[in-house]
Amino acid sequence: MSAVAYDTLDARAAVLASDKQRARRVRFTVYAAVLFLVAWSIKVIVVDDTDWKRLFGASLLATIQQFLDVDMSVVKDLWEPALDTVLMATIATLAGLVLSIPVAWLGAANITPLGKSSYMVGRFLMTMSRSVHEIVWGLIFVSAVGLGTLAGILAMAVRSIGFISKTIAEAIEDVDPKPIEAMRAVGCTRFQILIFAILPQIVPVFVGNMIFEWDINIRRSTVLGLVGAGGLGLVLFRQMAMSNYGGITTVILAILVLIIFGEVVSHFARKAVI
Amino acid sequence: MQAERVPGAPRAPQAASIAAKPVLQVRNLRAGYGDKEILRDVSFTLNDDDFFAIIGPSGAGKSTLIRCVNRLVDPKGGEVIFDSVDLVKAPQKSLRNLRRNIGMIFQEFNLIERMSVMDNVLSGRLGYMGTLRSVFRLYSKQDIRQALILLDRVGLSEHVNKRVDRLSGGQRQRVGIARALIQNPKMLLVDEPTSALDPKIAREVMGLIREMARERKIPVLCNIHDVDLACAFCTRVIGLQDGVKKFEGPPDKLDKQALHDIYAMEVL
Repeated sequence: MSAVAYDTLDARAAVLASDKQRARRVRFTVYAAVLFLVAWSIKVIVVDDTDWKRLFGASLLATIQQFLDVDMSVVKDLWEPALDTVLMATIATLAGLVLSIPVAWLGAANITPLGKSSYMVGRFLMTMSRSVHEIVWGLIFVSAVGLGTLAGILAMAVRSIGFISKTIAEAIEDVDPKPIEAMRAVGCTRFQILIFAILPQIVPVFVGNMIFEWDINIRRSTVLGLVGAGGLGLVLFRQMAMSNYGGITTVILAILVLIIFGEVVSHFARKAVI
Repeated sequence: MQAERVPGAPRAPQAASIAAKPVLQVRNLRAGYGDKEILRDVSFTLNDDDFFAIIGPSGAGKSTLIRCVNRLVDPKGGEVIFDSVDLVKAPQKSLRNLRRNIGMIFQEFNLIERMSVMDNVLSGRLGYMGTLRSVFRLYSKQDIRQALILLDRVGLSEHVNKRVDRLSGGQRQRVGIARALIQNPKMLLVDEPTSALDPKIAREVMGLIREMARERKIPVLCNIHDVDLACAFCTRVIGLQDGVKKFEGPPDKLDKQALHDIYAMEVL
């Protein structure tokens, strides 16, 4: 089979060459179509829809000027909402964790109690939690329990389930089977296997992701105020309503400081745990 | 160490005394998944002073054979009589009680990585403990004392509180040995204990298993692919090939022809 069939070589080469040519033609057609689509969208969405006069007029500079005039008088009213924001994030993360444990149990293929049906329920809950935006969860809970931090906490807790339970479930699925085998051989019950062979393996993932989710929840809680769920976001919304541009800048800076604080804390917490 | 030959007895290994009692009787054991047969009618008897080595090429069914004994793998037929109970027919519920009487040592140690040496050894007692006591790790003083004695015996008394992922391979296998022995087992199953270790450590580990089993009068059933190591430590060899027992006898009977029978490539 090693000898090349020389008599048909030219014919086969010609076929391959024409195939290549056709592939090239298809590729260029696709490129051209994509380019046209992008150009057309820019024209319709950006060029036609923008108020170009305003963009290059004096009012833009004037607005920026207004924002740069930081209103420090708001600062004294920011301490309490900032604390609220951090507490909301912390409580919401813990509540999210508690809610995530049963969801992860259902959604981990190797330990799910009722086979495929409970697995599907678990996965559905994870997807639902993640596919709805936190602002939408906020609106739902504000209408359910009224304005205030409780609505924000519930919104974030429910929004956190998706990420926390998914990562826990995946960690459970990726668990090393060797300790499980050893614990079965020792005569462990199913529950003892869960506690001794599975739990120690998922603790690092568990703790790391909790810290990560807390960090994200601080960001979330700063904007959840926009829908009336308390915290710094609510102050931001009020300053906007009053058209106090300098105040808006102050609140945004406060949010920035808070997020950096969250970043620093989670960095050290992760180092300490893992 | 006097060889007693009993006429008519199926076998009389050199080290066997008259008092040797069968601990495990395997009769016509069959195992496999679907159409694939892994063990075909394997039979043997393990006495209380035996150290059996199961040798054979990879895929011969060595690992399945010892896992059928403690039902980590469910056999398809035959009998596994241990402690006068047929394990093959034992209901799922009573397996826990049977398993805690059988210690197992693994090829890759199968330790719980993020726990300390002490906690890993004590996990060998979980089969005797209730749910609540085990969740809070309320091991009895007696168990902790026993763990300290065993750790001292395997030479790890300086590493009691270290996490096992900090130990070397040989040290990790010693933890595995201590975990198996704290069960106070009536038999030890050993699955390729040395393939993850270098040759010098491998001999030390085999020696330790043999000594500790002898001290406690526990028989050993050991999978091992290294024939020299098997012959150096065991009292009797079982040769498996493709799920069939091709040889059984003392190591000095394991000649070229026998090895050829066990390791010959099957021609299809």
